[in-house]
Amino acid sequence: MRTLTTDVLVIGGGATGAGVLRDLALRGIRCALVEKGDLTHGTTGRYHGLLHSGGRYVVKDPQSAEECARENEILRRIMPHCIEDTGGLFVVTPADDESYADRFVAACRRTGVWVEEIAVSAALRREPLLNPRISRAFAVRDGAADSFLATHANTDDARRYGAQVLTYHVVNGLERVGDRIIGAVCEDLRSGEMVRIHCAAIVNATGAWAGKIAALARLQVSVVAGKGTMVAMNHRIVNTVINRCKMPDDGDIIVPIHTVAVLGTTDIYVPDPDVYSITPEEIRLILDEGEHLVPGVRRMRALRAWAGVRPLYREEDATHDRDIPRTYRLLDHEVRDGVAGMVSIVGGKWTTYRLMAEETVDVVAHRLGVTTPCRTAELRIEASAQPAAPLRPAISHGSAARARFAILASPFYMPGHRLAEVEADDSYGDLVCECELVTREQLEAAIGSEGTANLDDLRRDTRLGMGPCQGGFCTYRAAAIWHERRSDGYGQAAGAAPATRLLTHFLQERWKGLTPTLWGDQLRQARLDELIYLETLAVDRLPEAIPDETIVTGHAAIATEAG
Amino acid sequence: MHEAIVIGAGLSGLMGALALAEAGLRPLVLAKGHGATHWASGTIDLWGMDERSPRDALRSIVIARPEHPYALIGVDAVADALARFRAVTEAARYPYVGGMDHSVLLPTAAGALRPVALLPITMAAGDVRAGGEMVIAGFHELRDFYPPLAAANLVAQGIVARGVYLQLPPVPRARDFGPRTLAQLFDDPAFRKQIGRQLRQQRGSATRIGLPAVLGLHDPLGVVADLQLLSGAQVFEIPTLPPSIPGIRLFNVLRAAIERSGGRLQIGSEVIRAEGAGRILTTLFSEAAAREQQHRVRRVLLATGGIAGGGIRTDDAGLVRETALDLPVRMDVNHAGWFAPRFLDPGGHAIYAAGVAADDRLRPLGVDGWPVYENVAVAGAALAGADTLRERSRTGVAIATGWAAGRMLAAYGCDATRSY
Repeated sequence: MRTLTTDVLVIGGGATGAGVLRDLALRGIRCALVEKGDLTHGTTGRYHGLLHSGGRYVVKDPQSAEECARENEILRRIMPHCIEDTGGLFVVTPADDESYADRFVAACRRTGVWVEEIAVSAALRREPLLNPRISRAFAVRDGAADSFLATHANTDDARRYGAQVLTYHVVNGLERVGDRIIGAVCEDLRSGEMVRIHCAAIVNATGAWAGKIAALARLQVSVVAGKGTMVAMNHRIVNTVINRCKMPDDGDIIVPIHTVAVLGTTDIYVPDPDVYSITPEEIRLILDEGEHLVPGVRRMRALRAWAGVRPLYREEDATHDRDIPRTYRLLDHEVRDGVAGMVSIVGGKWTTYRLMAEETVDVVAHRLGVTTPCRTAELRIEASAQPAAPLRPAISHGSAARARFAILASPFYMPGHRLAEVEADDSYGDLVCECELVTREQLEAAIGSEGTANLDDLRRDTRLGMGPCQGGFCTYRAAAIWHERRSDGYGQAAGAAPATRLLTHFLQERWKGLTPTLWGDQLRQARLDELIYLETLAVDRLPEAIPDETIVTGHAAIATEAG
Repeated sequence: MHEAIVIGAGLSGLMGALALAEAGLRPLVLAKGHGATHWASGTIDLWGMDERSPRDALRSIVIARPEHPYALIGVDAVADALARFRAVTEAARYPYVGGMDHSVLLPTAAGALRPVALLPITMAAGDVRAGGEMVIAGFHELRDFYPPLAAANLVAQGIVARGVYLQLPPVPRARDFGPRTLAQLFDDPAFRKQIGRQLRQQRGSATRIGLPAVLGLHDPLGVVADLQLLSGAQVFEIPTLPPSIPGIRLFNVLRAAIERSGGRLQIGSEVIRAEGAGRILTTLFSEAAAREQQHRVRRVLLATGGIAGGGIRTDDAGLVRETALDLPVRMDVNHAGWFAPRFLDPGGHAIYAAGVAADDRLRPLGVDGWPVYENVAVAGAALAGADTLRERSRTGVAIATGWAAGRMLAAYGCDATRSY
């Protein structure tokens, strides 16, 4: 067993854990983060990408609304490269209660959520596919956030200040001596090695899994796992976040993000965050509700569906999941349970991750006697450092060429950003994933980065395989490039079995998300992909193609998408 | 009035059109776009579910699965189609080799071994059973072919193989070396001279060299001959990601044969509906550039493909339609049963066996079990009864049912025609 000592151990590599890690590191506190899968493997990597204006919660949950409105402005400032300033609209459709709109505006004023009513004609000019029968429209400061990139930006920045990040490390036990937790025992899922981590404090930032972690220390934390299912359409059917102007409910939002638009969501209680599936009824409901916002959406091309589990903290019994406040709770187990050495941060949402981290680290730092104030609201997170040198040099990277593309100068993420980079660098010939414009250089850098274990991790890093062909062309290329990079040259000394497992694992990961919305043109695409992989490449006939599709380990901790 | 219209320009449509053209019926091929030729490998696969010879496998399918497309036409008709196909490709100086007696195992671009019945001669030296050390060679500039991975997988299966990358000689082009671009480069003798020299240096003790299937569009045999001469080894092509150069060559060969016999192709015309009188289809309507065209017709061959080709289409409500003539579709499971949980499930996914049921003259059957139209035949992936891609019989079924359908349609109404 390996032993590691740190001051604070953060459990959970989602938005909250990464935010806590950065906050700790910026305050000069020695810290490490463990995550059982890849970063963003849990709920952070499975949400629609909404940067909340707060509008969604103004009536029902004003505290959340206020928090969102404040954090929205902060995140725009500290990580603009992770955010697209799409703006948002709340629209009243014929199916909605018209009286809600006035309550909505009044509540926005009360909670400090910026809102401005615009003419219906102006809303329709801005979003031509929007239901022409809407009666009112309100502009808000919603945005779209790249939660993969943002999480990596936080951990990369934390690393610069000395933090450690251990992915594919699952916590098997917490070491409790009397009324004090003094460390954790983890398993490195890639090597099977056990790692004991000694620390002065633990932050349990595992979201929907917080109850499971707390139980390891014989503590009880009741987290209601609320499954939310989303459907990605194959293009941006809208360029603005569109919300129904009504009490939050199933299927009432469309978020444009990168090359797609995401329809969301449902909210269904699941007893175990590791065990859930997507039902045809959910898909039907999402598409039916989507029709109110964008008529005809049902006949447009849906790419795939997936689900994430919201970590809702239940203090007392709430009758319905949507009645549980969306705000977060910090549970100081020393005060709450008389057990020192651990805090749990539960509930909340992506938009408030930084605030949650700040409050958590305030408590932890105080216990450690550190008085350095939080600086995460002021210090901008720099875009991650340039990738490692590629196997072969790219064609040209003149800053003069880049200067021709104004879009590349914008601090915010803009759709078209990648295309401008490809045009500026003249790297069409290097595209490994044409749908999402992933170049060989980007892919090789991601393959070379620490902790990357499979093609699905590369997808979270680069968007590989997330476009219309859903891995049809890029899976073979990425597995082969991985094989070349990881076997250090072109010798056949390295066996092909790992590449085969990468390939079949990624095809399966894509397949699971495809089947809930697989019909029409997307089914046609899936059949083409089958033609490529079964007929032309015959990957099912490769040695080791079928037996085991799990890539790192068969460990139950790495639950993947429903299926 | 057209004597015959073929809907679809994939392998089945082209073989059907060839049969109709050779019978003197001057068929018109209407197709929305190119067929799977441009996407697939360019080989003809008869059967790959087990290690039996294709002939043995087909004989047992005909008995055990009476609704299988092979069973509808019989083994002799398959043999007829293969013979005609081989003759046409030979006449075009792009010969296919092989037959029904055994499958050849060819290495794929991933290094798997794939059973193939008929293959263009440019791939023949790849037969792994022939023995001999292999070099797999490619270009860094081609995104669609990775020699180290292919070689490593071949090694894992006991084949002596090595992957190498070649230097792309200086060419005027600066970027995006897709299969088509490389094929054009190989059409230039100076280019292949440079490649041949590199192959000689790289081959070591290998007796054969596999290259991505981009060895020229116009004279692939000449390219292979040049490279063999220069390298001192046998050279063979390995198909890879679309677009398929061997598939495009095959399309060109069949198109030329059809046109020489009086047929013609109109690509970019989608047939959207039909009208008939009783059990006779009389008129097709096609759409090109949003303008509807009407075609009076005596015989129709439906070769629009399955799910991939667009001949069979599904929707969110779980409906499965035949897109050109609105024929009844046979689909044995409901929406919930379309897919297996695993992408690579050996049994495949049930939805892909959906298609039009047909009788032994390949006429489309209605729910009453009678032909919907007497003068229509169905071929290729539009037929129900098998997931031919999973069986590795997709191209075999396409050329066999295409040819058989064309022959049977040609015979339809001959007496009536004569009496005019």
